[in-house]
Amino acid sequence: MTLGIDLQGSFVDALTGLGLPAGAAKASWLPLPMTLILIAATVSIFVTVWLERKISAAAQQRIGPEFAGPLGVLQAAADGLKLLVKEDITPAKTDPWLFTLGPAIVVIPVFLSFLVVPFGQNMVITDLGVGIFLWIALSSVTPIGLLMAGYSSNNKYSLLGGLRAAAQSISYEIPLALAVLAVVMMSNSLSTVDIVNQQAGYGILGWNIWRQPIGFLIFWIAALAECERLPFDLPEAEEELVAGYQTEYSGMRFGLFYVGSYVNLVLSALLVAVLYLGGWELPVSIGAIASVIGVSESTPWLQIVAAAAGIFMTLAKAYLLVFIAILLRWTVPRVRIDQLLDLGWKFLLPIALVNLLVTAALKLTFPIAFGG
Amino acid sequence: MNLAEGVQIVSFGILSLMVIGAALGVVLLSNIVHSAFLLGMVFASISGLYILLNAGFVAAAQILVYVGAVNILILFGIMLVNKQQDFVPLPNAWLGKLATAAVCGGLFALLSTMVLGTTWAISTEAAAGDGSVVLIGMHLFSDFLLPFELASVLLLIALVGAIILARREFIPDEQPGDPQPEGLKLPERPRDLVAVGSAPPDGDA
Amino acid sequence: MLNFLKQVGDYAKETAQSAKFIGQGLSVTFDHMRRRPVTVQYPYEKLIPSERYRGRIHFEFDKCISCEVCVRVCPINLPVVDWEFNKATKKKTLNHYSIDFGVCIFCGNCVEYCPTNCLSMTEEYELAAYDRHELNYDSVAMGRLPYKVTQDPMVTPLRELAYLPKGVMSPHDLPAGSRRAGKMPEEILDELEAAKEPADQAASDKG
Repeated sequence: MTLGIDLQGSFVDALTGLGLPAGAAKASWLPLPMTLILIAATVSIFVTVWLERKISAAAQQRIGPEFAGPLGVLQAAADGLKLLVKEDITPAKTDPWLFTLGPAIVVIPVFLSFLVVPFGQNMVITDLGVGIFLWIALSSVTPIGLLMAGYSSNNKYSLLGGLRAAAQSISYEIPLALAVLAVVMMSNSLSTVDIVNQQAGYGILGWNIWRQPIGFLIFWIAALAECERLPFDLPEAEEELVAGYQTEYSGMRFGLFYVGSYVNLVLSALLVAVLYLGGWELPVSIGAIASVIGVSESTPWLQIVAAAAGIFMTLAKAYLLVFIAILLRWTVPRVRIDQLLDLGWKFLLPIALVNLLVTAALKLTFPIAFGG
Repeated sequence: MNLAEGVQIVSFGILSLMVIGAALGVVLLSNIVHSAFLLGMVFASISGLYILLNAGFVAAAQILVYVGAVNILILFGIMLVNKQQDFVPLPNAWLGKLATAAVCGGLFALLSTMVLGTTWAISTEAAAGDGSVVLIGMHLFSDFLLPFELASVLLLIALVGAIILARREFIPDEQPGDPQPEGLKLPERPRDLVAVGSAPPDGDA
Repeated sequence: MLNFLKQVGDYAKETAQSAKFIGQGLSVTFDHMRRRPVTVQYPYEKLIPSERYRGRIHFEFDKCISCEVCVRVCPINLPVVDWEFNKATKKKTLNHYSIDFGVCIFCGNCVEYCPTNCLSMTEEYELAAYDRHELNYDSVAMGRLPYKVTQDPMVTPLRELAYLPKGVMSPHDLPAGSRRAGKMPEEILDELEAAKEPADQAASDKG
């Protein structure tokens, strides 16, 4: 197994070489990946918003933003700036504390979940043992923020939107967790890095999507529902609920919801890539490429190229899924609330259970192919 | 004391303060929704304590189950119950409060003596850490199999009970001769339109 | 048991079918992505209004004889004609004339019935204002001619769909001198004239 580049190790070594105690060197490493991921997540919002606008425009035979920066790439920045300087209104008879806390509680878990998203063998903030389970746990916190926002707004639409959002989140969490469980069962570990490593070695053929096609679909549908993306955007359905729990929000507090929803979409896409599409693995395994070129796998330049390719692959897969999500948005009409709950409880849940059982059976029958 | 220990002590202090403060808020605040949200904070802070104890899985499970499910159900319950009850000042309210204070104080004293009386020894075994998932799984399916299954049966019973309560068949049907209550009539939609023909018992239609 | 299996099978079939339909829908959306945008980039590009476009009404003060026909044919008696009878000339003199375009429905009846043709339709449709009372145009405002889209150097004029050559859907980058599908009205007239002439000739020869 390749170890890849150990950035942390080299950084700590370099600092201790400069005469710093080992503990301080390690502590000074800590904020670096976190800041990097924060910046990456923020940039990903810009990219996703731009993609959303441009792809939506293309699907509707429009042009989309084109004056803010080349091809309108700075449109998201302009939007963000507008939200920053916009007046932040707290409507009458709201609950000011909950009204302020709500958006924060929606956003914080989403950003925290980036802790476990790997971009490469060592390109992960922490390779936690509970890994993917942490994400499931954190994503279950979000509805509290939504309920908070909905309750404190002093608005019927907000309250209904908040309740819908919470109902939707807790219903779709179960098939989501079951789909993840099937993957975890095959890789014998909750850690995201282990899950990717278990798919490594055979290039595109080793990816989980071939072994878990149903799980992949369940996960993707449930992830879309968790992100409140269009076929399932009931909590903010404009035609029924004005804007759901966001109705009374303006300025940066609304901006937090906006940021949260887009980061959540990117996060879900990244996790689908990690769980089902081989994470940072290339369609052809690095080992095979190395043997074709005739260099050892531990050659420094090959490792650097592999790390860069890994980050690129992860992002490419994630953004492919974002693209599909945007395309779905303009294809599939919104479901009704009863259809939504029907789909979650009566369709996805039983199928996820059957998928789990079948995976367990296959694991016992073919331990080689299904991670014995 | 090195860096890691300092961080641990400081975060322990902060987390304990959060747990105690939020718990007091749950009990003392008059707005029930605030109490419910603070309950979520109590659960989250406890999960922070679990992380300090190197039990990541338990911490995540705590967040998933207590914050993500139990607390949300409580909030749902509060927000969907539309009962406005005016506060009626009781004549001898101080008596009840006194009794509550006495019981709570007694409980606190009991627990304090228990805490002080126990000789606490820190286990010399290394914490399981990331391996705890495997250990928990093995314990659940060996020594704790019976309690585990009993707990799941209990949950199943609760689930069935909830379904029975929510099922419509158990609401007594009206007899044809019964006078219809005025409040349940829909003026614009006659009832006969629904029962044009009954579906055949087999699904061959 | 068999019945149950059949139900499961039907359900699976339905699921597969709906998945197929979603796939078809996705392919339609995807196909739309490679088509050219059909939108007009408004402040920079504008459609050329057609000849019969009923825009803001133009008014020629000097032609008006204050007959008030426009008021009578208007569905809501909108035009305001302020005139005085001049005893010396025994004619009405017009003082003011105004139409409130915030209320006008641009039906064109006044233009149709005006005996002296002092009312006419223009191509102007950009009537946005900060206050609806600003839309109450008096005779001076109504006497102004709008800027022609084709002569505005800031604007790329675009032809409307009916004015494009046959088979062309996009008004962008048309070759110069390309003409629209079908015959022009004057050509139809010419043809009719040409067809009529021999007939007239024959009639006159006979007579």
